[in-house]
Amino acid sequence: MERAGKASVTHRLYGLLEQIAPPLVSVVIALAISSLIIWVVGYDPVRAFSALFDGAFGGPRQIGETMLRSTPLIFTGLAVAYGFRAGLFNIGAEGQLFMGGLVAAWLGVALAGLPTMVIVPIILVAGAAAGMAWAFIPALLKARVGAHEVITTMMFTFIARYIVSWLVTGPLKAPGQIPQTVQLPAESMLPKFTDILPELGTGRAHLGFVVGIALAVVVWWVLKHTTLGYEARAVGFNPWASETGGISVSLTTVKSLCLSGALAATAGVTEVIGLHGRLFDQFSAGFGFTGIAVALLARNNPLAVIMTAMLFGALSAGSGTMQLQADVPSKVVFIIQGLVVFLVAAQQLAVWLLRPFKARGGVENA
Amino acid sequence: MDARFRRFLALLVAFALLATMAIGCAGTDDTTDDTDTGDGAAEVDFSVAMITDVGGLGDKSFNDGVYAGLENARDDLGVEIRAVESNEIADYEPNIDQVASAGYNMIFTVGFLMTDTTIKKAPEYEDVYFVGIDQFIEEPADNTVGVLFKEHEGAYLAGVVAGLATLDPDLDDRINDDNVIGFVGGMDIPPVEKFQAGFIAGARSVNPDVQVISLYTGDFDDPAKGKEMALSAIDQGADIVFAAAGLSGAGGVPAAQERGALFIGVDQDQYLTIPGSGDVMLTSSMKLLDVAAYDLIKSAVDGAFPGGSIVEFGLAEGGVALAPFHDFEDKISQEILDAIAKAEQDILSGAITVPASRAEL
Repeated sequence: MERAGKASVTHRLYGLLEQIAPPLVSVVIALAISSLIIWVVGYDPVRAFSALFDGAFGGPRQIGETMLRSTPLIFTGLAVAYGFRAGLFNIGAEGQLFMGGLVAAWLGVALAGLPTMVIVPIILVAGAAAGMAWAFIPALLKARVGAHEVITTMMFTFIARYIVSWLVTGPLKAPGQIPQTVQLPAESMLPKFTDILPELGTGRAHLGFVVGIALAVVVWWVLKHTTLGYEARAVGFNPWASETGGISVSLTTVKSLCLSGALAATAGVTEVIGLHGRLFDQFSAGFGFTGIAVALLARNNPLAVIMTAMLFGALSAGSGTMQLQADVPSKVVFIIQGLVVFLVAAQQLAVWLLRPFKARGGVENA
Repeated sequence: MDARFRRFLALLVAFALLATMAIGCAGTDDTTDDTDTGDGAAEVDFSVAMITDVGGLGDKSFNDGVYAGLENARDDLGVEIRAVESNEIADYEPNIDQVASAGYNMIFTVGFLMTDTTIKKAPEYEDVYFVGIDQFIEEPADNTVGVLFKEHEGAYLAGVVAGLATLDPDLDDRINDDNVIGFVGGMDIPPVEKFQAGFIAGARSVNPDVQVISLYTGDFDDPAKGKEMALSAIDQGADIVFAAAGLSGAGGVPAAQERGALFIGVDQDQYLTIPGSGDVMLTSSMKLLDVAAYDLIKSAVDGAFPGGSIVEFGLAEGGVALAPFHDFEDKISQEILDAIAKAEQDILSGAITVPASRAEL
């Protein structure tokens, strides 16, 4: 009895290790190859990475910056991961993000005057609904006529971007020279951590980060403990078997892609009401697309998305310091990101590298 | 096979790890000589940093232009310079914070997208001079200067060239019988509208009946779209196309080459910056960011920084100019050269005021 319990604990631990080891190995290899590249190009990789680390975690302000950069990636990472679990590749998270940002910029002004406690939740829900609506048509097309979501959500991204582009240069443009919407009033903004506790010193980091972590837990729980999540996973695993088993594949597809859209849109909302305070053409640094990498690296596990989003957030936050202290061009972080994504995509490599250890572990267990 | 591959991989990883360690040891040597920056020629104790926008260095446009001004100031005045690139918009603020707290005396923020950040950050560092390039700052703080260009004055000269050239079949056999020229803009924002208004006014001043087809791509980074716009203008009879659309406009060069038309570049002398464009590049309407950057650094070093104001660089200040004709040098008629000289004179003397917007045309 006792032995069995112990065995199952080690077994579970082992399972966890098996889950996280391949991505971890991928990251380590990516860092090693990046060091090599930095060195070959003529910079000092040790200085580069210590500056990068310093810029990402060196103090409360730096940690805040990492949290700030991670926030949109948590949402888009969750969006893509949820889609993948249901067998859908939501490559159009960027478009849903834009619609979320648009609704946030509009409601932030339209509802001005209401207290923050009221206005911010309304904007969050309405923004998510906008993303849901934006994903609904591709979802319907997929469910009804089988139009592939990779094409349709991507096309919808272009539409969303151009709608926003038109609105910020035309109807919603603030007075002045710059194509952008008006600055939101302070009460429409998500509070910063320092608004609540100034001594934290976390700079620009805002409560969107907390919303992100909460949503990650919710998504994890939905996938694991609800019918909705069970159906999504079942359809993602084997649509034919699910259909035979009485699950409506088309309905599940629509629900899953819409939920994914809602999650992606939240990234746009928090960027507008958490960071910029207004909407303009380039308010997203491709977060919808980076979200794909975040989800892949997390192996579509919602809780792991928090960690992988923070890894990418840290790279982004530290790049400036790396540039200034180690003279390494900040674009190098894109090389690191690219290598991480590449190696994760080629994750079989890491799995294969780890195989000897796995085999030995197996023998010991037996 | 399998085993050999595994051995190869193991070797690869081992090599990577060894290399990292070796670098770690080698690295310590480099750190020492990096601390005394500058090339020894420092005559003044003054340091200048620039924060690029997301285009970064190497954009062959305004980031590179400003950096050229910084380099000139380093060589002539002995100031220390530093460029910090931004990967995304969220980088602007921390980049400014970093260089300001690192003790730089003067910070250039480049591009209108950084306007908000400049306005927000400048008051936090009262001892640092801030210069916002292409930024319309309504009430600049005492340590801040907003720099604008009179793009319309340079474009007016380009318009004079195009207006006369389209009537001059001797200039080139690609000049057709239609009295039509084209304009391709990027985003429809004031600096681009100034190019358009100046170009049209210049062309009409020498050729009142000329028809100018104006099109906008809506962005600055899509050469394919710029090419489509230029093709559409050419297909409607334009034999000369002026593109003020950043990288999008560069797509006008292959369009002109395919359809047999001429092209006028923007911002820099694009004969030099777009390789292989010589056969269609008539001239360029230049915006001399390096001149503006250099002048402001010099004024700051001399203790005459015009803080709290907007400084405009036009023809008189050497902030805009027409580029050389290069391959067309021998073909440009005396009539065109005279018309350019007269237009320049009239602008400098104030005899003509070049319209800066479509409304003023």
